[in-house]
Amino acid sequence: MAILVNKDSKVMVQGITGGAGKFHSERMIVYGTNIVGGVTPGKGGQEVHHRPVFDTVAECVEATGANVSVIFLPPQFVKEAAIEAIRAGIKFLVVIPEHIPIHDMLHVRREAVAHGATVIGGNTAGIISPGQANLGIMPDIAFSPGRVGTVSRSGSITYYVADTLTRSGYGESTCVGLGGDPVLGSTFDEILWKFEEDADTKAVVMCGEIGGVYEERACERIGQMKTPVLAMIGGMFAPPGKRMGHAGAIVEGKMGTAKEKLDALAQAGAHPCKTFNDIPEVLKKLGV
Amino acid sequence: MRLYEFEGKQLFGRFNIPIQLSKMAKTADQVFEAVSQMDAPVILKSQVLTGGRGKAGGIKVAGGANEAKTTAKDLLKLTIKGYPVSSILIEPALNIKQEYYLGVTIDRANYKVVIIASGEGGVDIEETAAKNPRWIHRLSIDIADELYTFDALGLAKQIGIPQELLKEGARIIQQLYKLFKAYDAKLVEINPLVLTNDGKLIAADSRVSLDDDAIFRHPDLKDMAIQDRHEEGEMTPRERQANEWGIPYLDLDGNIGMFPGGAGFGIMGNDFIHYYGGKPANFMDSGGGPSPERIANMLVLLDENPNVKAIFGARFGGISRCDDFAKGVIMFLKEHGLSKPMVMRMTGNMWEEGVRLFEDEKKANPDLFKNIEAHGIETPIEDISKRAVELAQQAEGGK
Repeated sequence: MAILVNKDSKVMVQGITGGAGKFHSERMIVYGTNIVGGVTPGKGGQEVHHRPVFDTVAECVEATGANVSVIFLPPQFVKEAAIEAIRAGIKFLVVIPEHIPIHDMLHVRREAVAHGATVIGGNTAGIISPGQANLGIMPDIAFSPGRVGTVSRSGSITYYVADTLTRSGYGESTCVGLGGDPVLGSTFDEILWKFEEDADTKAVVMCGEIGGVYEERACERIGQMKTPVLAMIGGMFAPPGKRMGHAGAIVEGKMGTAKEKLDALAQAGAHPCKTFNDIPEVLKKLGV
Repeated sequence: MRLYEFEGKQLFGRFNIPIQLSKMAKTADQVFEAVSQMDAPVILKSQVLTGGRGKAGGIKVAGGANEAKTTAKDLLKLTIKGYPVSSILIEPALNIKQEYYLGVTIDRANYKVVIIASGEGGVDIEETAAKNPRWIHRLSIDIADELYTFDALGLAKQIGIPQELLKEGARIIQQLYKLFKAYDAKLVEINPLVLTNDGKLIAADSRVSLDDDAIFRHPDLKDMAIQDRHEEGEMTPRERQANEWGIPYLDLDGNIGMFPGGAGFGIMGNDFIHYYGGKPANFMDSGGGPSPERIANMLVLLDENPNVKAIFGARFGGISRCDDFAKGVIMFLKEHGLSKPMVMRMTGNMWEEGVRLFEDEKKANPDLFKNIEAHGIETPIEDISKRAVELAQQAEGGK
């Protein structure tokens, strides 16, 4: 009924004693998320919101059976925290902070692949399976349980899309924030495939934006999917962006303009949408 | 964050990548003095944070000190792609036999570091890559791996470095990779790596771009004053003001002031305005969890922009709180005042508190709100976008 996280997920929070960690842990608990504990090195033995705090992830996993972690830490600590979680057996990791050094994320991704773990973020608003679990900073008001999945690079776009799906009666199975940083823990194609494998997701809305390379990577995947994909790309009228030296151009080819991305996705079989209002209309036509 | 050529070469020097002895000058007299102590001919290279210097006339050869002084005067008057030339790097001119290209960057789609090399270096390397991809050689490496000598040797051989210099070429490639990792680089380029007539390999130019988010790990770079660096050429006065306030902001040529939340809808909101027949006057991003002061400053930028005829406001609070947003708007209304019509929508995290703050203030000071049409989650953002376009058209019509 959802991907990556549901009501049975046992969720821990790394950085639960910090300001943002504490504030958002409470919101997550109020939503009904199964938060089982938290980790802050040096603060083992304390409690936050009646949840036990541990010094290490391994201790938390041992005591609580946690299998999902949400990271609320300053960016310079993310690399170690994420690798610690992955090596302790956490299979799904949500990295909320932004401005994580790019080389650090390459290391995190490498560990995740080696251990079969999934990482989303950094700079993500998180993930929500409405009615089951809300990990991160997303506002409850936009979401309702339902049959359409969403995956977006931007938090605010996720809220607008979910708000549209909620008011048009479709609701959401799971909404995934890929994150806004230049190097991300997961790519569109990987998340799209998880939706494809979820029997209760009847369509997926993917929202990309100008710049970066992850939208293009989704095209091949969309061609293999039975679940329909709706695509929006932000920046159709944005002024031309900056580019990164010859090597960047050689490796990444022409940096995708929004229009090129949307055209490529449509070519691959996605249904392009201009505004949020187009989404329910397209879903209706598809018989979702 | 880009480094100047001379800064990149300083890093090359630290990693024993061969560079020439060089001098820096900021005035024509300094150039004269420097060249007087060097063997002519010399090459004068404008130091600017953009590519295409040579084609823009920013690189010149001079036969002696007097010629160098005259040339320097011209160079110091140049502005290249928005960057005024304020310093010149002086090096002995090289006798070039062959130019190679070496680059290290990140292949984001595949999560690898990639080393790129070509026997056809120089200014047209991208054209080469497009037309003759087989002249470009790549090696993908996992960030946690080292670059072994045998791999580097293979690459040096592929690009045609002569036999007697193969080991030196491989060493340079390895050192470049080490530099890339040690300084959290996004890009390190030697273009060209010159083979001289007397059989030496020399890095004749440098292009280095570091990850701003990792600068904290490299306190030794502080002397480069890189924190003041702006990568996109000249800023408009408003962009400079926004930059001082820490607000990502770009001036555009329309008349609707964009007052959005995060960057995601900051970008897409601009598209919506276009779809409904309007044109945004700016791009702006509040950043995550903006303070009331920041919100107020965002509105100051728009209200004081004479091109702005109407303001479009959107706040879907996630990590940002609507009560802080409302406080910021009220702070702006009280301390500055809104002279333009604004339509806005506020919902998300703490929206009830945001609405309450607005209502209380409105009861006390109804006049403050006379230019504002405030909506909540009941109004789709498309309708807000349409209304902003209408307001701007009305304001233009009423002129």
